[in-house]
Amino acid sequence: MSAAPVETGDAAAPHVELRRVTKRYGPVTAISDLSLTVDKGSFTALLGPSGCGKSTLLRMIAGLEAITAGQCFIDGVDVSDMPPAQRRIAMVFQSYALYPHMTVRQNIAFSLSVAGQPKKVQNERALEVARILQLEPFLDRRPAELSGGQRQRVAIGRALVRKPEAFLFDEPLSNLDAKLRVQMRFELAKLHADLGTTMVYVTHDQTEAMTLADKIVVLDKGVISQVGSPLELYNAPANKFVAAFIGSPSMNFFGVDIAAISGRTATVVLPGGRTVEIGVTTGAGARSAELGVRPEHLTVVDPRDPAAAFAGKVAIIEHLGSSTILYVETPVGQLVVEGEGDLAAKSGETIGLRLNQNHARLFGVTGATL
Amino acid sequence: MFKSKRSEYFTAAVLMAPFVVIYGVLFVYPTIKMVEQSLTNAPLIGPGKWVGFDNYFRLASDRLFSVAIWNTLYFVVLSVIPSTLLALVVALGVNRLKGWMQSVVLAAFFLPYILPVSVVFRIWSWIFDKDFGIAQYAIAPFNDGNSLSIFRTIPLFMPAVAFVTVWWLLGFNVLLFIAGLRNISSEIYEAAGLDGASRFTQFRRITWPLIWPVTVLVFTIQLILQLKIFDQVYLFAQGGRVDATMVMVQYIYKQAFQMNKGGLADAAAVVLFLLIVVLSVLQFQLLRARGVR
Amino acid sequence: MTASVSTADLSAQTGARRLASLRRVDLAGLVITVATLLGAIFWAFPLYWGLVTTFKPEYEVVRPGVALWPAHFTLENYGHVLLETKIGLWYINSLITSGAVTVIVVMMAASAGYAISQLDFPFRRYFWWMILASFMVPIPALIVNHFILMSQFRLINTLAGVVGPQLIAPVTVIIYKQFFDSVPKDFREAAVMDGASEFQLLFRIYLPMNWGITTALAIITFIGAWNLFLWPFLAVSSEDLMNITVGITQVHDAFGVQYARDLAVAMLAALPVALVYLIFQRRVTQAIMLSAGIKG
Repeated sequence: MSAAPVETGDAAAPHVELRRVTKRYGPVTAISDLSLTVDKGSFTALLGPSGCGKSTLLRMIAGLEAITAGQCFIDGVDVSDMPPAQRRIAMVFQSYALYPHMTVRQNIAFSLSVAGQPKKVQNERALEVARILQLEPFLDRRPAELSGGQRQRVAIGRALVRKPEAFLFDEPLSNLDAKLRVQMRFELAKLHADLGTTMVYVTHDQTEAMTLADKIVVLDKGVISQVGSPLELYNAPANKFVAAFIGSPSMNFFGVDIAAISGRTATVVLPGGRTVEIGVTTGAGARSAELGVRPEHLTVVDPRDPAAAFAGKVAIIEHLGSSTILYVETPVGQLVVEGEGDLAAKSGETIGLRLNQNHARLFGVTGATL
Repeated sequence: MFKSKRSEYFTAAVLMAPFVVIYGVLFVYPTIKMVEQSLTNAPLIGPGKWVGFDNYFRLASDRLFSVAIWNTLYFVVLSVIPSTLLALVVALGVNRLKGWMQSVVLAAFFLPYILPVSVVFRIWSWIFDKDFGIAQYAIAPFNDGNSLSIFRTIPLFMPAVAFVTVWWLLGFNVLLFIAGLRNISSEIYEAAGLDGASRFTQFRRITWPLIWPVTVLVFTIQLILQLKIFDQVYLFAQGGRVDATMVMVQYIYKQAFQMNKGGLADAAAVVLFLLIVVLSVLQFQLLRARGVR
Repeated sequence: MTASVSTADLSAQTGARRLASLRRVDLAGLVITVATLLGAIFWAFPLYWGLVTTFKPEYEVVRPGVALWPAHFTLENYGHVLLETKIGLWYINSLITSGAVTVIVVMMAASAGYAISQLDFPFRRYFWWMILASFMVPIPALIVNHFILMSQFRLINTLAGVVGPQLIAPVTVIIYKQFFDSVPKDFREAAVMDGASEFQLLFRIYLPMNWGITTALAIITFIGAWNLFLWPFLAVSSEDLMNITVGITQVHDAFGVQYARDLAVAMLAALPVALVYLIFQRRVTQAIMLSAGIKG
């Protein structure tokens, strides 16, 4: 299911475009007839679980993987047959791939040295980049002597010095510990804000995509599931895959029966008997569906409250300080509920859950949102 | 990886060229020639007439050739087995040492390996010298008080040369065994010690089975190496009855460079080659199979 | 037998027994260590004995008795050897031929190893199988045809002729290929993105990242070339062109056997490679273990 890019208004040609690309490894087809565009100056994330093809797409843009069929355009030029070095792009690898036998300065200036630039120019440009990334004190050190965050910055510096049309990032934060990851996320966002260069970012971490990107392409097994801004994907997921993948803790799902559909409202029968009204856009004729509701759209109420959709028993409580996560055993299975930080609840307690029907969605048999 | 095929082939051609030229001219061509010439009666330099398998029949009936094969095999048995086993014992001892003491001891065992064969020859012909060699003090009691020229006493020649060879090459084997021993995690020994296993049991049940692949490796390498023996035998036999203690490569040498029979020498070389292939494959399979018990 | 043996008594007994067995184990260990040390002394003795003999005057050498240290320490044997034999020439010959072999082999093997490892070209498979198969063919068996070949090129009795057949080094190629294989693909891709050509990849990334192995292989190739006997012996008949390993076997004194001098010239022949080993011990060890691993 290849969705057309959901862009509002922008009529300019895309900066990077993959047009109907297919990737085959011998008898295995990993990606088939996929098209996606990246706008100039945007931060576009390719998001999906392992094996969804996001890295393959990135590498096809880079020229590290051959495109079996289809084309790749960068700034309007067909680069499908061009070697990587001529595509005017730069890549930051997951493992950074810093040359261990060279100093930071030499690492950063490597592409210039390969091109035969005089030493003076190499040193100047390396210094310039080092200043931007606060790497000046480390210019004469070897990668082995640097911390993870510093190494990452050197990797970015190596890409930066080439003044590319676009940056490609292949899961650059996966090798960092949690705290460092948050810090580097901020630095990457700042870098993008400062430079304004197009960035294409591959990750499996939806938090990274949500916080950094202005456009996210969600991929599922080689196929585009949905394209949109973070909030669009969060609030209006086109299918169950996107709904489940985005958001943490993830959306709750359970099966429901549809009593009736009139116009843009479906009357849904919850297990337990209560009915709710959920907005839909399609789905005439559907008798049953899956209902998805995010943890923060479930509220804890007294079990005897008439507005409660279900009652359930609290199994586990997680106190995060700013919020509280409850794992509640209900007739429809385990539901995850997110509430205020000072939520009073006890393990084993029976509570009622109220459903915010404005934020619940129905998903049909194919997974598409109704 | 995206690359242009043409430039890749060109780069590969440039990089492979030296190797291909050297290998082709100095290895492939001579090897083919060796087989081809073994079927002719050519002298050392110059062409010869095709004689088919005539040379091989000659070899089969040449007593000297059978002596050479026998001597070679005899030498291999005398040198490969002791040097493999002794090296393991030495490695076990050296492995227990630590720090600089281990380095010094290891160097003592290994240094001979670095020496050129002619130096080894000089040292040991001096030690075994009939008139003034220090070894005579140990030999004379066994010889009614008389000194003995070891290398001129035919039955003692091979064992003596094997002895010298073991001294020369042991370090190489010791090195390999030490590397293998180091790969055995010390935790296994600790666990065995806690279980009350004696040192000997530990060796029999843990070390020996785990070091078996290395033992096979060392044995195979030494086997192939010693089948090609020439240098020491030639040097120590100088001035004596060379024919009695001849080995295969020596036979090739004699036929080619002293009897001027290139074709015959090549036939002997082909036989040596086949012998090496057969023996090493056989031995490798046998030892490997035993190890899988 | 009273059943009133206290627990304290019991643990004391076990403790004593354990201590005794510990001591016993230590004793065995001590014996092994001593045996190893004695073995090392025995092993080093021949070299020591040869060396110490070179510092004795000849009359002392042929005296009965075992003198572990010269009564009259002298350098006259070395003096004689250095002045009266062609040892200087032989050193130079060895240096030239060993140096040439080392340089050519390392360059050739690194290039070929890289090409087989990283590039895709026709017949790549066949080259690889050929190299592996060449292990079985013993170089000494090829001496006849090497001689014929070199004489066809008129290279018999030249240094170049000595160098020729020594350039066959399948093990070196294999080692390089394996090391280049083990360089993570990321480095290659990063360098490609940076615009590096294959040659730049080889010389600026792959080789520098494997510098240790180049050093180790170079040292072991050098030592091997220095020590080679059979081929230089065949290829060269004039004393002026001999390498040192062959040359010292050709020293015959007009005045009969001169033990100390013969040994002195041998010691001088061994000196360079012994020094190289003692200085580069680690690298030599590494190279040997690698080549053995390949053969296995």
